[in-house]
Amino acid sequence: MIKGSMIRKNIIALLAACVCNGAIAADTGVVLKPDQLRADAFSDAKVVGTINKNDSVDILNKKGAWLQVKSAGKTGWVRLLTVKRNSAGGNNVAGVVGVATGRSGTGKVVSTTGIRGLSAEDLKTAQFNEAETKKLESYTVSADEAKQFAANGGLSSQQTPYFQGGNQQ
Amino acid sequence: MSKHQEFRKSLIKQAVILTLCSGVMAGTAMALDLKGALKDAVNKQLGGSGNTEQPASANNQANASAQEKLANIDWKNPSQEDEIAVGRNVTGTILGAAPLVNDTKLQEYVNKVGRWVASQSERTSLPWHFGVIDSSDVNAFAAPGGYVLITRGLYQRLNNEAQLAGVLGHEIAHVVQRHHLKVMQKQALMDAGTSFIKDKISKNKITQRAVTTGAEISARNLDKSAEYEADSMGTVLAARAGYDAYGLAEVLQDMELLGSNDGSVALLFQTHPHPDDRVAQLSLVSGDQIDKISGGKTLENRFYKLK
Repeated sequence: MIKGSMIRKNIIALLAACVCNGAIAADTGVVLKPDQLRADAFSDAKVVGTINKNDSVDILNKKGAWLQVKSAGKTGWVRLLTVKRNSAGGNNVAGVVGVATGRSGTGKVVSTTGIRGLSAEDLKTAQFNEAETKKLESYTVSADEAKQFAANGGLSSQQTPYFQGGNQQ
Repeated sequence: MSKHQEFRKSLIKQAVILTLCSGVMAGTAMALDLKGALKDAVNKQLGGSGNTEQPASANNQANASAQEKLANIDWKNPSQEDEIAVGRNVTGTILGAAPLVNDTKLQEYVNKVGRWVASQSERTSLPWHFGVIDSSDVNAFAAPGGYVLITRGLYQRLNNEAQLAGVLGHEIAHVVQRHHLKVMQKQALMDAGTSFIKDKISKNKITQRAVTTGAEISARNLDKSAEYEADSMGTVLAARAGYDAYGLAEVLQDMELLGSNDGSVALLFQTHPHPDDRVAQLSLVSGDQIDKISGGKTLENRFYKLK
């Protein structure tokens, strides 16, 4: 089941990539929390509607951390954590792609790109590399250097509590 | 290259992936997994020669002293120094599989961003180290004591500094919460228990097994709750550092677009909660708190582009 949904997701992604080059087309989602639809992708943009938990939406576009969605005839922008993309509703051509991309029937995902990744086996058999470890440590910066770097970019420390349910403290 | 492959390639370029490694926490499933790891480790180690033959031991004095530290780790109650010694060994082992990208500016840049984010955590006194490793795989690793590695494959999918901060924040959270260390402790204590029954197994060997597990664990089954926790904490740490709070969420959501058939993410998709679920969980946990965070920066102009 998971496998099937992943394949469908891939299909949708493929279609999205060729149809509109970066925008997210032909994709749907479900609303995770009630929110306001805004006319543009900023938090102080005009409110043009509301969406409720579990509403279905079409995802039309993405800009930074914002998604443009259409729900019950209304179109507007919401923060991306408001909507969970779903891969259902895609046409069922998963089997074709499964073959085309070389997915094996064993439930294992096989590489078709020729890129060799870091596998569990690689990590298990790897030998400690002292020279590279020293090199890594040579790049270490102090807290003060980092603070200066942050200030150069206009960053300053904010008081932000951990999210509730973040299981901290 | 077929059309199909081209499509996939362009898709992959647009999409961003995140993979974050591995806090594994104790649980029934994990205990089972540990037994497998333990068995592997025992077979491997017992097949070898004496205590002195350690992957970590090369032929200089620095290594000898590092080995000494490793040999004297108090696994029941590891000190910060113990933790760093373990993490150094795990990190050096990962570096043995994939060396650093040979780009000093990149490494310095990642250290500045990472250290700044780590400074917002509860463990500012750790000697935090960050590095980009030369692998096209899409992944990131955290090891005890403040070691964080991200792959070139992951780095190249990022678009701005806030996203990098979010990814590093996730790894930093693993370190802060000692997710890996706890797993390794469990392994070491299990080994110690075994050694009473069987012939004496040296403490050095016990440590080596735990460390081997530590490196390997980065690519083994991961505990979902540890990953969700790291997503949540990492997001907050990046926001505390002044970055746009959605950096990590963006990476996660873009990852939803990525095909699970791609070799560079195969392992990730096998070993991590699906990005859909991570986004949903982050949404749930952050509630309306995340929307109250304003004024965060993305700093795409300053983001160091890898050639």
